Amino acid sequence: MYLTREEEDMLHGKMGPAVQKSMEILVALGEIYNAERMIPVNSVHMPGSSVVVAGDAGTEFVEEMAGTNVTFKARTTLNPAAIDFERWKELRIPDEYAKRQKKLSLAYKSMGAILSHTCTPYLTGNLPRIGEHVSWGESSAICFVNSIQGARTNREGGPSALASAITGRTPLYGLHLDENRKPRLLVKVSARLSSITDYGALGYYAGRVCKGENPYLTGIPTDASIDQLKMLGAALASSGSVALYHAKDVTPEARWAEEVTAKEGPKQTVELGEAELKKAYEDLSKAQSDEIDVVCIGCPHNSIYEIRDVARNLKSRKVNTNVRLWICTSCSVKSESDRMGYTKVIEQAGGIFMCDTCPVLSPVKEIAKRDGLKTIGTNSAKLAHYAPGQCNLYPHYGMLEKCISATISGRWN
Amino acid sequence: MHISDDLREVELGLSELVLRGHKVVKGKAEGEAIVTRDSISFMGGVDPKTGTITESRSELEGEKISGKILVFPGGKGSTGGSYMLYDMSKRGTAPNGIVNIRTDSIVAIGAVMGSIPTVDQLERNPLEVIRTGDYVVVDGDSATVRIRKS
Repeated sequence: MYLTREEEDMLHGKMGPAVQKSMEILVALGEIYNAERMIPVNSVHMPGSSVVVAGDAGTEFVEEMAGTNVTFKARTTLNPAAIDFERWKELRIPDEYAKRQKKLSLAYKSMGAILSHTCTPYLTGNLPRIGEHVSWGESSAICFVNSIQGARTNREGGPSALASAITGRTPLYGLHLDENRKPRLLVKVSARLSSITDYGALGYYAGRVCKGENPYLTGIPTDASIDQLKMLGAALASSGSVALYHAKDVTPEARWAEEVTAKEGPKQTVELGEAELKKAYEDLSKAQSDEIDVVCIGCPHNSIYEIRDVARNLKSRKVNTNVRLWICTSCSVKSESDRMGYTKVIEQAGGIFMCDTCPVLSPVKEIAKRDGLKTIGTNSAKLAHYAPGQCNLYPHYGMLEKCISATISGRWN
Repeated sequence: MHISDDLREVELGLSELVLRGHKVVKGKAEGEAIVTRDSISFMGGVDPKTGTITESRSELEGEKISGKILVFPGGKGSTGGSYMLYDMSKRGTAPNGIVNIRTDSIVAIGAVMGSIPTVDQLERNPLEVIRTGDYVVVDGDSATVRIRKS
């Protein structure tokens, strides 16, 4: 692939070993995917920010890079960590994770990352514009920036996002190019969508059909909220690796996507009605028992509006002593929630805030084993999808109101 | 077409075949094949400590992939998969080699970091040609996959 003089210098170690290693990773990627050249990026969102994801090998790699005193060229936010930095003791997260996580976060910080530790960086200050080339990890956030913002990123893993942060480059291939942003499938939605769980169920069903290809969806209400679209994208990404969707009259590239669909014809057309939506709800509920051990709201991380809805539902109620209610969000949104009084309502009812982290990226599998937790109720299709494999918790999937009722009664019904 | 080709080979008693593909990661690896039609998320779908597939609904749920040649369509889901695959290779629980229909960027980077020889885009669909238990040699350098039918 073609490299500029500066990029050649990076590759040959003239700017230090971390820049060299980063360029090697990006060139390897570029060659696998036949990229013509590199493009500059100035927005990175870093997956592998949790020690649960980075593992020992990844953590060591990041720390080695930081040890060379390299500084990020691109603006960089971090995905959730394995711990809540304020409350990890209260959450009874094992010490060993806290120690390793603090070290990893400091390594990222020393290179220039912002300690955002959220999977919704677009809610807290990392917001690329339409057409901007970026380098993002975190499947739900990738789907959001590509689809809702119209920015352009491939699905970056930890090492390639780190390499982009260090060099300010990414290879030009995949979703950076118009050709690969074309929709290949037409999904005609006739099911009525109201709650965010409807959007999650829709995404879960459609994702399994799409298998990584971009869908063009019709029938999405034009007043769909950011939270609903976030849930749709997160579900499409977790069940089907979808990194970009277009939705008629909703997403910024939709008009173009419609023209392409009309001109080239979709490879496949899928009708998605009430029956399919119902099937998705059923498939997402894998728990055998109606007894609920945990209820989790906030995957991807809650917006201030979602927290407001939790507070409204919990007002003057008490969480059952056998149930843990986890509310996951970023520390930025949490501070707004403090100011609005939502935090107080939720905590007085017995809910627990889990900032900077979530069940998928914290060592919940170990906590579940230690504390005998078996079932989880959630309004997140993404969490319901990952909970069995990643947390060893079997899900019930349903609307917020249903989840909150379960936290009060201890039963799902 | 693929299936009838496959049957013809059985009839002719051809026990070994070589397919050309596209190099993803250099190097040579061999081992027993483990084949699935399901895409894999190495984060949340595989236990890196044991090398076992944990995703419910996956054809390979409960199966060990360590030391095998893992044949699957490509990666899916979480972008944490790159570090997970790298971590598995450091722990010795990773597959020896990978054959994909098309390798996605998450698996590709994990395989680059972990030096796991990987080939994709074979001239024939590997999911139809390779069966679990076949002995497979993945050669990233020559971008070929050699299959000895079991």
